Amino acid sequence: MTAAAIECKSLTKYYGKARGIDGLDLRVEKGSTFGFLGPNGAGKTTTIRCLLGMLRANSGEAFVLGEKVRLDGAVLRRRIGYVAGEVKLYEKETGRWHIDYLSRFRGGHGALTDELIERLQFDSTRRVRELSKGNRQKLALILGMMHDPELLMLDEPTSGLDPLNQEVVFDIISERVAAGSTLFLSSHILSEVERVCSTVGIIREGRIVVEDRVDTLLKQRLRHLEVTFRDATGAEALESVPGIAEVQTLAPNKLSAKVRGDHVDDLLKCLALHSVEDMSLEHASLEDAFVDYYRSDEGGRQ
Amino acid sequence: MNINLFLTTLYQRRIGMFWFSFGLVAYSWLMAWTWTFIGEMYEELLATMPPEMIAVWAPGDLELGSLGGYFQTEYLGMMWVLIVAAAIIIYAAKAVSSEVAAGTMELLLAQPIARLQFIVTRIAAMFVYAAILTTATFLPIQILGPTYDIEIAGRTMALLYATGFLLISAIGSFAMMLSASMRGGGRPGAITGSLLAAMWILQAITPFVEVAEDLEPLNLLTYWQPGDLINEGVVLASSWWVYGGITVISLAIAVVAFLRRDIT
Repeated sequence: MTAAAIECKSLTKYYGKARGIDGLDLRVEKGSTFGFLGPNGAGKTTTIRCLLGMLRANSGEAFVLGEKVRLDGAVLRRRIGYVAGEVKLYEKETGRWHIDYLSRFRGGHGALTDELIERLQFDSTRRVRELSKGNRQKLALILGMMHDPELLMLDEPTSGLDPLNQEVVFDIISERVAAGSTLFLSSHILSEVERVCSTVGIIREGRIVVEDRVDTLLKQRLRHLEVTFRDATGAEALESVPGIAEVQTLAPNKLSAKVRGDHVDDLLKCLALHSVEDMSLEHASLEDAFVDYYRSDEGGRQ
Repeated sequence: MNINLFLTTLYQRRIGMFWFSFGLVAYSWLMAWTWTFIGEMYEELLATMPPEMIAVWAPGDLELGSLGGYFQTEYLGMMWVLIVAAAIIIYAAKAVSSEVAAGTMELLLAQPIARLQFIVTRIAAMFVYAAILTTATFLPIQILGPTYDIEIAGRTMALLYATGFLLISAIGSFAMMLSASMRGGGRPGAITGSLLAAMWILQAITPFVEVAEDLEPLNLLTYWQPGDLINEGVVLASSWWVYGGITVISLAIAVVAFLRRDIT
């Protein structure tokens, strides 16, 4: 087993009686890209704040980059780049002022500062109060990534950015990961996570309900199939295919069914034995998998 | 302490600091200048006022027609406390809680700065602010005083400076303690300001209400008697203990509270 960039063991945080996270177990490998999924109020931000030492957990423990997280762990934060979900900056100051101010805490300008400013086309001379939401987000991204941290903790990093800049951010993130950084991406924009992350954890009511590779989750997803044959064909034509379920006859020559992603090949081999006029196989998205976990009362797969 | 945070803290408060200091320099100069033509008839002027009003301005045995009586009544006893308290409360009440409420504390604490460094730095900046306010008050009197027939001994001025600095620090430390434990700059400032206002009222009614007299030892303003200090050159030992004690205890609580609090 490789070293963990993030490890939480039964991490629990309550705000009075209100639940933040409850016995959260999580492991993110070094060098991996981890998507942290969950709707508002599921406990994503609480988890991140516990990991950064901003919140004191009621019980359990957390380790980041091999070090136990403490409320006052300044040394550890030197190795982390954090972009908050809600960007809060000093309204009266300029972007350049923020860059200089935060850089001095780390002993000088970060290696990526100029490159990030250029690639995000950010005007650092303007005051924050004059910046649009997208430009504030750009500044937050520059501040979070300019020191080329070992661990990137990004909470909705592309919020407010136009598609072109989203592309730039994804490129930058991919490059940092290729260079050895670990990505912990908290988001409810599932297409974003699907695109960038290799592993996801879904949090529900303060607990991780699933933690797996994205491709494994997608493979396990049931895809909706509709197939029209040239001749009348019965449901038994498909029932022998492994991983198939809910075969229904829509017309004498038209069937629908659900098939698991890892059995698509078996399905195609079966269909090749027939004369097919038309077919559609819906692409499985992470969104479907996510919705499945959230629809289930038990918090597990249906 | 973190030098970057320290210098930035002072930089961010530069405008408020400048105007409060400028106002105090101007006020001190005005008071010294006024003494040249009001000094001799000051006692007669006061005699025309109701004794209740005089009692509010200058309680105790203070000789009102003296230089000390003049400074206490016209400046240092009330108006000066009002000005410096406003300045230090605005700074201290916002030092922690406003950053938390504005969300910039999250930005700061995502950087490699320890919480202890943060709070100690903000406290250090508060002492610098208190020193600037005290200097802006007493340095003009010391420098310009001889021009206007005001001679205050160096030792007396040092004592004035030290007790004034301690009074400001005590008020600021109390506000800082609330700021380190609460969210939003409004409440710590409002609570500290309300307590001071209550103390002023208590001081004003003390000559006339017996119950208020019993509460005098609890009143922070009881220990600030600049008139007696200017006239006699002595400070009550209790002044040091009360102001010093409030400062130390409040700051200790502020540090512990900030080290333990959640940043949300």
